[in-house]
Amino acid sequence: MTMRRLPQQPGEVIDRSQPLKFTWNGKPAVGYQGDTIASAIAAGDNRIMSRSMKYHRPRGLLTADFWDPNAFVQVDDEPNVRSGHRLLTNGIDVGPQNVWPSLDYDVKAANQLVGRFLSPGFYYKTFIHPQKLWPAYEKVLAQFAPGGTVDYESEMAYFDKRYTHPDVVVAGGGPAGLAAATAAAEAGASVLLVEHEHHLGGHLRYGTEDDRALANGLELAARSAGVEILLDSTVTGRYEDNWLGIVQRSHPLASERLVKARAKTLIVAAGLIERPYVFEGNDRPGVMLASAARRLINMYSVKPGDRAVVLTANESGDQTVADLERAGVKIAEVVDARAGGNVTATAGSQKAVESVTLGDGSTRDADLLITAVGWTAPTSLLNMSGDRPVYDPAGARFFPDRTPDNVLVTGGIAGDGTLDQIVEHGRETGALAASRALAVAHRLQALTARAMPVSDPEPAMAPDARTPLGRDPHPELYRSTTHGIVDYSEDVGSKDLVSATKEGYDSVELLKRYTTATMGPAQGKLETVNTVAVLAEARGETIAEVGTTIWRPPYAPLTLGALAGRIFEPERVSSVHSWHVANGAKPILAGQWIRPEHYGNPQAEVTNVRENVGIIDISPLGKLDLQGADVPKLLNLLYTNKWSKLGVGSVRYGIMCAEDGVVMDDGVTGRISENRWLMTTTSSGAGSVWEWAENWLQTAHPDWDVHITPVTTSYTSINVAGPKSRELLSRLTDVPLDNDSFDYMQVRPGTVAGVEDCIMWRIGFTGELSFELHVPAGYGLHVWEALMDEGADLGIKPFGLEAQRIMRLEKGHFIVGQDTDGLTKAPTTGLQPLIKLDKDDFAGKPELAWAMGQGVGDAADAAGMDLPVLVSVQMTDSSIVPPEASQIVRPNTNEILGRITSSRYSPTLKASIGLAQVPPSHASSGTQLTVLLTNGDRTTATVQQHHAHFDPDGLRLRS
Amino acid sequence: MVSFRKSNPGPVRYSAATLARKGLSGDDWPRVWRDHDLRKTYDVIIIGGGVHGLATAYYLATNHDITNVAVLDKGYLGGGGSGRNTAIVRSNYLTPEGVAFYDRSLTLYNSMAADLNINVMFSERGHMTLAHTDSALRTMHWRAEVNKLQGIDSSVIDPQEVKKICPSLDITSHPRYPILGALHHPPGGIIRHDAVVWGYARGADHAGVHLHQKTEVLDILCEGGGLADGKGAGGKVTGVRTNRGDISAPIVVNCTAGWGSLISNMAGVKLPIVTHPLEAAVTEPVKVFLPAVVVSGSLHVYVSQTDRGELVFGASVDPLATYSMRGSLSFTEELAGHILELMPGISKMRLLRQWAGLCDMTPDYSPIMGFTPVEGHLTDVGWGTYGFKAGPVSGEQMAECIATQQTPKLIAPFKLSRFETGELVGEKGAAAVGH
Repeated sequence: MTMRRLPQQPGEVIDRSQPLKFTWNGKPAVGYQGDTIASAIAAGDNRIMSRSMKYHRPRGLLTADFWDPNAFVQVDDEPNVRSGHRLLTNGIDVGPQNVWPSLDYDVKAANQLVGRFLSPGFYYKTFIHPQKLWPAYEKVLAQFAPGGTVDYESEMAYFDKRYTHPDVVVAGGGPAGLAAATAAAEAGASVLLVEHEHHLGGHLRYGTEDDRALANGLELAARSAGVEILLDSTVTGRYEDNWLGIVQRSHPLASERLVKARAKTLIVAAGLIERPYVFEGNDRPGVMLASAARRLINMYSVKPGDRAVVLTANESGDQTVADLERAGVKIAEVVDARAGGNVTATAGSQKAVESVTLGDGSTRDADLLITAVGWTAPTSLLNMSGDRPVYDPAGARFFPDRTPDNVLVTGGIAGDGTLDQIVEHGRETGALAASRALAVAHRLQALTARAMPVSDPEPAMAPDARTPLGRDPHPELYRSTTHGIVDYSEDVGSKDLVSATKEGYDSVELLKRYTTATMGPAQGKLETVNTVAVLAEARGETIAEVGTTIWRPPYAPLTLGALAGRIFEPERVSSVHSWHVANGAKPILAGQWIRPEHYGNPQAEVTNVRENVGIIDISPLGKLDLQGADVPKLLNLLYTNKWSKLGVGSVRYGIMCAEDGVVMDDGVTGRISENRWLMTTTSSGAGSVWEWAENWLQTAHPDWDVHITPVTTSYTSINVAGPKSRELLSRLTDVPLDNDSFDYMQVRPGTVAGVEDCIMWRIGFTGELSFELHVPAGYGLHVWEALMDEGADLGIKPFGLEAQRIMRLEKGHFIVGQDTDGLTKAPTTGLQPLIKLDKDDFAGKPELAWAMGQGVGDAADAAGMDLPVLVSVQMTDSSIVPPEASQIVRPNTNEILGRITSSRYSPTLKASIGLAQVPPSHASSGTQLTVLLTNGDRTTATVQQHHAHFDPDGLRLRS
Repeated sequence: MVSFRKSNPGPVRYSAATLARKGLSGDDWPRVWRDHDLRKTYDVIIIGGGVHGLATAYYLATNHDITNVAVLDKGYLGGGGSGRNTAIVRSNYLTPEGVAFYDRSLTLYNSMAADLNINVMFSERGHMTLAHTDSALRTMHWRAEVNKLQGIDSSVIDPQEVKKICPSLDITSHPRYPILGALHHPPGGIIRHDAVVWGYARGADHAGVHLHQKTEVLDILCEGGGLADGKGAGGKVTGVRTNRGDISAPIVVNCTAGWGSLISNMAGVKLPIVTHPLEAAVTEPVKVFLPAVVVSGSLHVYVSQTDRGELVFGASVDPLATYSMRGSLSFTEELAGHILELMPGISKMRLLRQWAGLCDMTPDYSPIMGFTPVEGHLTDVGWGTYGFKAGPVSGEQMAECIATQQTPKLIAPFKLSRFETGELVGEKGAAAVGH
């Protein structure tokens, strides 16, 4: 194998003292520290890097950078690695993607033979009959999907995130970006410079000796001025108010890091991307852009070919000729497009260019064709800033139009000039950005900071007094007189685009969707303008008339890992959690919480509560501390019942409805003192009820004196339930607990087990005499253990969620979201008495007033609306507990009438009990229901008189 | 039902044989649809050239012989929700109304390739809704029971069966929200959404319907109504004003999404719609490894892999109402986090592109279809996050509604007046992230 590595080049970035071993395409290979994977492969005289997506044509390096559509490789378990950009590391296994059986002999290249039938969208036009064969065709087509192979069994790599708030972010570290960053930093701004490549200097890095000297000087100045520099990083997205997503691909610890920056001003100095030329055979290995050849020679010391034809339309192309000559490449012809020269085709084998046909029809023997036909302005960040760049035919590219005050543009993307002019424009842009950042900073400070109030007036946004860059004339070179590939990654040619246009897919969006041009991994960086140019030509319009597609984020693809970062999915546990674990609790996930489902035998836990005393950790219960004179107004607004007269020391149960009258949450609120209330919500409603209340306060009633503090995790909540609960608690507190001093539905603050500031209230979710304790969370475990110790002789046992679910069902209490659903209006839950339509107003009142006027909730009046009603049911056969979600059907049919929403075997009643939603016609006591079990069997159930199966008069909880 | 299977929806029949002939001769394909001047009068004007509007036009022409029809779109065909959705179709809804409706849609999708003579690449690969919590599992069982009684293939499967279908899913107990089971719906799948749009457009055009792109409706012209300019209840429509001139028509159908309430407001009809963006994203292609559509309600994400190898992701609607269609960074961050909870092995796959579409949300997450208080103004709007799935059946039923001037039974539950009578449709639970 011939090595194509050149002797040391003056600007090379490789370290020849650090050889690196790797494998390419199954064979051992070597490169140097500083090589990209592609440059190392090219140095080993490998011309073929990949096979094309559709026709599996051999492909060689085209741009030799991040965007190279022909240089995607698999590196170990990582698919779609951009080898033109990724640095070589020792020991990696690099392979081609989407080839079978191998890169050199790919059987799918047979697709080329039928290429004339594979016109754009051919798959829409065939495989239609017979339809039953389509799934088989589909499997075959899926085999042709491009890309590498993901190893989904691999471990998730380490990723991270960072937040930063610089005054100025500069996207692009070429001459203009470096100058801008330096000037902004010198003006006192904090500056973050983000460079896509591994080196600063942009195109200067692969330019002349003078270019490199300038780049080095600019880099030194930027570093001295204190600019923070991120290399191998890209500003991938610009969102509202300069919220920037930056992907940092090289990081000492993380595979990739997402840097999220709120920039006061953003400078877009993204430079220009060299554009390929469309002609016959333009994807044959050996056809290369000028910038690619200069990168290979000047940075990586790789000789790109032996005998070259150069098509040049600009200075960059001209300079490439000199570089090639220095590298020992023979120049077969320099074709000057400015003087009317053209290239129409390459010829040769599938794997290499052998000759080039010029515009005059003559041919030149060559193995390398270099094109320098102009640039695409990567206006992605400008699109994301609301700009719609405008095409200028004289300059043969798009230029920025209007950007917001906090987004400035400089460098090649903004215009042309000498290097001095570009650098000067960068400096002026940096100074302007720094001064505008001051105005933005002042505005932000005035908006948000109360601690450091701003008194002086906001400085004016500095006007743009920069000397604008010029526009050099450049010939419009998109397609030659022949047809060739436009989108290399999608294997779409200009002929395909023309035929799709003629077929009616004649706007840029339709064309894109039909042919998939611009939809591949480069996302249009190389091919969008050529696509538009071909479409314009086919329509007989100008590029400006046709317009482009809008570039959407991300500018450069980034890993899912970087976006996810260190995945943060919080777990919530109560302060008693360690005790639960030590005592054999079976955990259950309940939203964010992990809590005990039971401690071994939930049925026995129920019996123990009914006979002795049990305690349950109910810390996930949502808790809001409400303070202020207007709290009763808020309670009256949120709950359907009345709260004005709730005295100090009392608690009350209420239900909350959304504006459509649907039950949203329920719970108990107690008045602790004159101006302080504690509200409890369902566990899952803890967050949403807080937001709901704040929403009302902040939007409808900002004048109310109410302060809400969420205290769900500030308290450990323990329910002490059972006939012996009073005796147990009396051993731990001085608060009198007899019925006269502390009645059902009352609340007392007090000291429990030596812990001050506990809140106790008497309610009865389980149906037993019970005291709900809210204990400062730091002492939760202590109080829990004290209860267990003191209650030993009373037969105390802990109980879990399952026992509580059984007991609440025995009492007929519904659970919002389980027994109710997105359409359950409050009156249908059996709680009509809690809906006080004579109140001034409450959330959901108009809807409920209307619904109840229609007879909703009044089972006796089935003439009203036919909304399902919640009822208690008992199964005829106590040995059958129908699975929740079992359907209630009309006898001997499959017609759905309702469903079982909750069901359990009741150890207290020795019965199979449940709650069900049924139509009003089936809601009256004694109605027989047919329940269709999930296994297909049918059983019967009877509607009960009361929701409570057990102790309907509530004697036990008042005892 | 009128059979249109034998009709030929294009000037040239698509088949392998035609493909071969064209390939050999090098002849151009005829235009898939044609441009026309605006007529002064149409029998029916349909606003919105997406799958709903085009399907309505197609079925008007093919099922009911009403061909003096115009479809107006302010942009290009299929440029709104039809081209921005994640192309998932299924019928395992929660309510009998929902199930019956979407099942008909799935039936039409199943025979669409033959009916429209275009390969819409319906990939019936199965649809799995994962359950990570007890309560989610309970809802799955509920849906499965309802589906079973409606004759829909849908059942709850355990984690091992989930793993068998999609080996890339992590079913261990390590994730914060482990997979406890799934609702598996084998007939669900994905489809090439653009092909559906083009198929209906081609068929409608061939049947004589005029498709007008870049034709923006500026106003709906009315007379006799109680509001200004004769708009509002009690009045009737007389036509539309567009950027290309006025057109008269006795029937103007609103088949838009994202701007549904603004369009009907032009006729003085207020719709209970709030518009939210729904974001989506796609990765670079990799070799196919994910064989089914996977949805996780708890993690607010759904994902499928196209035959091109890209993973397509979506989530629930953005919380704030806006007409902006810009993607957000936080969306992609949350999305990636949730996807990697499900499939930690794909952390090095790269996100290629993100976008957003607009969803017209109604109070009960069900559409608003049929007649309005303004005579001649009909709507097929309010499709929330699930309009694409319903495109064919909506078109079929709306066409019947227009042709017969009677509300067909299948769409009767979705009438506008339900918001006055309170007879809402309970799909909120099933549709919130229900792709």
